[in-house]
Amino acid sequence: MDHDSRLDIFSDLPHSIIETILTKLPLRDAVRTSVLSSRWRYEWTTITQLVFDDKCVPPSDDRASFENCLMNFIFRVLFLHDGPIHKFTLISQFLQSCPDIDQWLLFLSRRDIKELVLQLADDEWFRAPSCLYSCHKLTRLELVRCELEPPLKFKGFLNLKNLTLQQVVISQNDIEHLISSCPLLESLTLSYFDGLELTIRAPNLKFLILEGEFKEICLENTPLLMAISVAMYMTDDIAEHFEQSLSCNFDKFLGGVQRLQRLSGHIYFTKYLSIGSGRGSTPIVFHNLKCIDLYQISFEDIKEVLVLLRLVVNSPNLEELQVSGTSITSPATESYDPDFYENQFPADCKFKHLRTVKITDVTGMPLEMAFIKLLLGHSPALEVITITPSVYVADGKLNMLVSLLRFRRASSLAELIFIQEPL
Amino acid sequence: MKELHLAFVDWEQTSTLSVLLTICSYCKVLCSDIFPSFTMIESDSEVIKPEMMKSYVWLQTTDGSIQEVEQEIATFCPLICQEMHSGLGTSKSYPISLPTRVNPAMLSLIIDYCRFHQVPGHSNKERKVFDEKFIRMDTNRLCELTSAADCLQLKPLVDLTSRALARMIEGKTPEEIREIFHLPDDLTEEEKLEPLKNTMDDPRIRLLNRLYARKRKELKEKERLKNAQNEEEIVDDRPLDDLLSFINGGNGDPKGPVASKSKKKNRKKKDQQKSAHEDCNPSNNLSSYNAIDNDKKGTNGHDPSCTNNKLHGRSLPILRQSNLQDTRDLSFTSEYELDDGDLDDEIDPAMKEIDREVEDFARRLNSDWPERMQEILRLGQERHPTPISMNRNGALRIHASTAFSYPSFCFFLLLSVI
Repeated sequence: MDHDSRLDIFSDLPHSIIETILTKLPLRDAVRTSVLSSRWRYEWTTITQLVFDDKCVPPSDDRASFENCLMNFIFRVLFLHDGPIHKFTLISQFLQSCPDIDQWLLFLSRRDIKELVLQLADDEWFRAPSCLYSCHKLTRLELVRCELEPPLKFKGFLNLKNLTLQQVVISQNDIEHLISSCPLLESLTLSYFDGLELTIRAPNLKFLILEGEFKEICLENTPLLMAISVAMYMTDDIAEHFEQSLSCNFDKFLGGVQRLQRLSGHIYFTKYLSIGSGRGSTPIVFHNLKCIDLYQISFEDIKEVLVLLRLVVNSPNLEELQVSGTSITSPATESYDPDFYENQFPADCKFKHLRTVKITDVTGMPLEMAFIKLLLGHSPALEVITITPSVYVADGKLNMLVSLLRFRRASSLAELIFIQEPL
Repeated sequence: MKELHLAFVDWEQTSTLSVLLTICSYCKVLCSDIFPSFTMIESDSEVIKPEMMKSYVWLQTTDGSIQEVEQEIATFCPLICQEMHSGLGTSKSYPISLPTRVNPAMLSLIIDYCRFHQVPGHSNKERKVFDEKFIRMDTNRLCELTSAADCLQLKPLVDLTSRALARMIEGKTPEEIREIFHLPDDLTEEEKLEPLKNTMDDPRIRLLNRLYARKRKELKEKERLKNAQNEEEIVDDRPLDDLLSFINGGNGDPKGPVASKSKKKNRKKKDQQKSAHEDCNPSNNLSSYNAIDNDKKGTNGHDPSCTNNKLHGRSLPILRQSNLQDTRDLSFTSEYELDDGDLDDEIDPAMKEIDREVEDFARRLNSDWPERMQEILRLGQERHPTPISMNRNGALRIHASTAFSYPSFCFFLLLSVI
C-alpha cells in the first residue's frame, strides 16, 4: 500500500509515550501492534505493565480449553517480554491455581516486580511460593484467596506501601509480623478474615480498611493514621468474646490516632467500640477528624449512643456526619430518659464546623430524634441536614416530620431535607 | 426608607423586575441584601485595570516567533517553570526557547489547555467535558500535540492525548490502524505470522485459515492449469507438494476423523519445514500425491469452464473425488495425536455451508472476510493482503503470493471470460 512516509509521525513519538499508549490498551491489543509495521514489531515487548484478565483470549464454552488458552497466552507474553516488569496483574474467574503460576512468580521476582495483583478462580486457594517473599522491590501487593506462610527468616517487604489481603489464610503471628516488618506501609486492607485478634504496628500507616470478623483490633502504633474504615461482622463466638472482654475497646482502637481525619464504621462497629468500661483517664480529642460515617447504630442500646456522642463531642472540627440506624424497631426495652442528652452533653459544646449531616434509616425512636434535636440545636454552621426515614416506617413519617420541624435550629442557613421516597 | 411593601406584584411581567431594580438601586442598603451581586455589575470597568498588573512570560518557538503568555498560565508547564527559575523569559530579549517539537500551532493549543485547567474553580466534570472536546482533532495533530506536551513535561496533557490515541487503536484490525496512522505495511508475510501465534491460538481462526487456504489452493490450481503451457518455474516443489497434499488431505471430508488427521499431517509438515528450511522429506513423502494430483490436473484441464463456474460454490466436489482416492494414503497420520478433534464436526463438505460458516466466523472476528474472498475469487484482482494476518500454514501463503503475482494477468483474462 502506497503512502507518504512523512505522514507516519506516530511511530516517531518518543518511546516513553508509545509505552504510555500501549499501557493504556488492553494487553491483547498491545501485543497485536507487533504486526503493524517493522517499527512496531517489538515495541510492546518493553512495556513494564502487564495486566492479564479473562478478556485476553477469546471466550469459549469449554472451561478447560479456555484456561489452557489463557495460560499459553501468559506464558508466551512472558517469554517474549524483554526488560523489567513493574506491574503484573492477573485477575481471572476461571484460571485455577496450578504450579505454573509459581513459575510465573519466580520469573517476576527476577524482573524487579513492584506491583503484584493476583486473583484466581474460586475453586482452590493459591498457595504462595517462597519466591514471593524475595520480591524485594514490591511496593504494592494485592492477593485474593491465597495461603500465605512466610518463612521464618523473612524480614518483610522493605518497600511495601500498599497491602491488600482478601480471604487470605495466614496465621495471626505471621500477619502481625508482616505488617510490622513493612516499615513504609501506608495503606492496609484486610478483608474477610475470621476471628483475628489483631494488633497493628505500622508507624507510617495512613489508610486502614478492615472487614471481617475480628475479635479484637488494637492499633498500637499508628500515629499517622488518617482514614479508617471498619466493617465488623459478628458471630456467636465473637459475641461471647465481647461479653467477657474487660478492656475498653474504644481506647484500644482509637486511642492513638490523633491525626485521624475520616472514620467510617459499618455493621457492628459501634457495638464493638461500646464494649468495655468507661472512659480512660483523659478523653481523646480528635482535632483533625472531619468526617464521620457510622452505619447501623442501634439507638436502642445506650452504650452505642454513648460511643456516638463521645466521638462527636470530641471532634471539634467535625464537618460532615453521616449516621444510620439499624431500622429494626422493637418495643422500647429501656425507658427513655428525656434528659439523657443533657446529662451527657456539655452545655456549651457547639459543633462549630459541622456543615453536612445525613441521617438515614430513621425509625423515629426517642433517642434518635433527640440526637437530631441535639445536632440541630448546637450546629451554628450547619448547611444541610438530610433525613431519610426507614422503609419500615409506614405511618410514622408525618409525625416524624412534625417533630423535626419543631426543633430549634442554631443555624439560619440550615436546610432540612426530608426524603420521602428513599431510593 | 426602611420598609418597602409591595403588594400584588405581577412577577410575570418582565418590566416588573426592572422597576424593582430601579427602586432598589436608589436604596443601597436594601439592594445589597437582596441582590448581593448587584454592586459588582457597576464596577465592571474597574476589573480591567488589575490585568495590567499581571506578569508575562516570553516564549520563543523554533521558527523564531516570540509569544507573550500570562505567567500563571505558562507556569502550568513544568519545563517553562524551570526555565523561569533560571531567570529566562522575563523580557522580550531573553525569551525561553522552546524545544523543536513545540511549533506555534501546538503552543497555542497547549496554552488553551493550560488556560482552562489552571483555574481552580472548575469542577471535575467541567474539566472532563473540556478535555473531551479538546482532543477532537485528526491523528497527526494529536501525535504532534502529544510530542509537544511531552517536551514541556505537561503530564496531564500527555496522559490525555495518550488515552485518546490508545482509544483509536483499541479493538481495530491492523489494516484499520495502519490506515489511521499512515503506517507502512512493511512486514513480510512471514514476519507477520511468526510471533503472533501467542495471541491467535484460537481453534476458530485455525479453521478459518484452513478454509481460506483451501480456497486459495483451488485458485492456484486453476491458475496452474491455465499456465500449463508456460514453462514457468513457479515455486520449488516442496511447498507445492504441501499445497497439493493439503488440498487432498485437508478438504472437507464428510468423515470427520479423516479431516482431523489431515490437520495433524499439515501441522507436522509445517513443523518440519520450520525446523529445516531445505527439508525435502515432505516432498518425498508426498511424491505419491504428486502423481495422483497430476492426474487430477489433467482431468480438470479438460473442463476449464466447468471449474470456473464452480469457483465460488462448488469446486470442492471435484477435488473430493480425488480425495476419496487418497483416503487410504492418509492412514499414516493416525500416529499423530488428535488435539482439536472438536472442530471436525464443523467442517461441512458443501461449500455453501462452509461459506456460511466463514461468514459466521468472520462476523465473530469482525473482519470482512466474505467480501474479500468474493473479491478475490470473482473479480480476479491482485491478491489482497489477507485481513487475518496469522495463518498457521505460513509457507503456503508465501509461495501462493509469489505464484499469483506472476501470471496474474492470465488469471485476470481467464476470469473475465466467465
